Amino acid sequence: MIEVKDLKKEFKKTIKSPGLKGSIQSLFHKKTEIVKAVDGLTFNVGEGEILGFIGPNGAGKSTAIKMLTGILTPTSGTLNINGQIPYKNRKKYVKEIGVVFGQRTQLWWDLPLTETYSVLKEIYMIDDNKFKERMEFLNDVLELEDFIKSPVRTLSLGQRMRADIAASMLHSPKVLFLDEPTIGLDVVVKDNIRKAINQINKQDKTTIILTTHDLNDIEMLCERIVMIDKGKMVYDGSLSKMKDTYGKMREVDISLNDKGEADKFDLEAAFKFEEDDYDIELKGNKMILKFNSAKASIPDMLDYILKTAGVRDIAVKDADIEEIIRRIYRSEVNLDEQH
Amino acid sequence: MRFLRLYKTFVKQHLKNLMEYRVDFLTGAMSFMINQVTNILFISIIFGQIPELAGWSYYEIIFIYGFSLLPKGLDHFTSDNLWKVAYFIVRKGDFDKYLTRPINPLVHVIIENFQFDALGEFVTGVVLFTYSSIKLGIYFTPLKILLLIIAVVFGMFIFTSIKIACAAIAFWVKRSGSILQVLYMSSDFARYPATIYSKGVRFVISYVIPFAFTSYYPASYFLRGGNPLYCIGGTVVISGVFMLVSILIWNRGIIAYESAGS
Repeated sequence: MIEVKDLKKEFKKTIKSPGLKGSIQSLFHKKTEIVKAVDGLTFNVGEGEILGFIGPNGAGKSTAIKMLTGILTPTSGTLNINGQIPYKNRKKYVKEIGVVFGQRTQLWWDLPLTETYSVLKEIYMIDDNKFKERMEFLNDVLELEDFIKSPVRTLSLGQRMRADIAASMLHSPKVLFLDEPTIGLDVVVKDNIRKAINQINKQDKTTIILTTHDLNDIEMLCERIVMIDKGKMVYDGSLSKMKDTYGKMREVDISLNDKGEADKFDLEAAFKFEEDDYDIELKGNKMILKFNSAKASIPDMLDYILKTAGVRDIAVKDADIEEIIRRIYRSEVNLDEQH
Repeated sequence: MRFLRLYKTFVKQHLKNLMEYRVDFLTGAMSFMINQVTNILFISIIFGQIPELAGWSYYEIIFIYGFSLLPKGLDHFTSDNLWKVAYFIVRKGDFDKYLTRPINPLVHVIIENFQFDALGEFVTGVVLFTYSSIKLGIYFTPLKILLLIIAVVFGMFIFTSIKIACAAIAFWVKRSGSILQVLYMSSDFARYPATIYSKGVRFVISYVIPFAFTSYYPASYFLRGGNPLYCIGGTVVISGVFMLVSILIWNRGIIAYESAGS
């Protein structure tokens, strides 16, 4: 369905010295550097699959998505989606894809939602019966009923996102690209949107590629994830495997009574930790402890901390994606062994 | 066919919008009219002092002035969205939307917005044109009416093509509104007979940024029977060439488009 091979995108960036003087200088002596936003991505996605595309801010996710959707022309590499090359047969290609950018809307700001849909109906040349059927389905899944007559500018963010997803699904695309579809939404709305995405995927066998910073999105939607950092792929595999391998690192933030208390910890002795199993960072009397929760459970660790040192405050943090990526990045060698 | 249906859909939506922002529309249209009326007053004052300007009478000047508003007003009405491309759409990455839709992005950008305010400009043009025609006793045969329509429509294309080319520069430099502004403003020269200017200016508005072909040259055919092959054929040829070049620039620009971070 989707074949990506050695995809690259480079941007030319002007380097400016700071200040007005720098700006004027750069007018005459333009210094540029090449930024490799996407640096050699290769992966395939099968029909009906939901692929989670993750990575820290600035990793190149959006750039990659924009090349996949035909918005940007790749610097090099090959792309084949649904038998077409996005940037070459753009007009024909985009008929069969749907795109949602969570950060901006494709709806017409001043028009009532229904009007936006009837304009899209004309743009995608959807016939009347198909359109009616489709609207019923999307109404059902995304619950548009309550606000379909309101102008888009009056919608809440959650409503707008649902409306945007419906707009991208109106023409029954074979591939759906969702760039941060749950950004800025509350927990309940996030949950509804995830359910809707799942339902669309099941009913239409739509292939979906989504980017997100929310691990729960991934957990509820994707069986497979591709993780990129600095434009390069660092992981391609199932979520469960990634979590088993990397999600075990937990973080505990501790405020010590006194800076000296930190010396009392000896995790290697207490839990038989090896060097890779933990990491301690000290800032004044604040201590950030990261450890492998497969080797020591959270309650055991808390117990040990409280017994060992005088503690004022303590907080347990979940392993976030950025942390996992950092881990993966550090243990790239291990990653190769697993394959 | 499909294009016309889309066009109809967008116009319909816009009329609905217009109803919602009535006050805004009326103020906008009025401001354009007032702008033109003050210009006309200025011309009248000048002609109160002198009988003619470089051999052109008051009504002839009004004729050319009114004529110049026709293609300009039409262009303003149909393709105002290009200003937004030059100023924000590219810079903010909002151009993405047009590239994910199965219609030509240029067509999409243009038909998405209609500037009804421009009717103020166009109507003023029609009034001045008709009034001065009557005063000058210009008789319009069917052939002349046809030539008039051709001159106005192709004159509009000259404006539109310059806007397309300038807006497309934004694909490389992110923001080209000022470039567009400067070129567009230079069309004000074309509201008066080209012969009142020095050789340099006349050359520029005839052959470099050929706004004279949107007003003075076609108008001089109707006024003094200038060679129609040059006065109106020139408009057609120039607008064809300009349109072609500007679309080429635009298409190259789309390849260079870099979107914006999100």
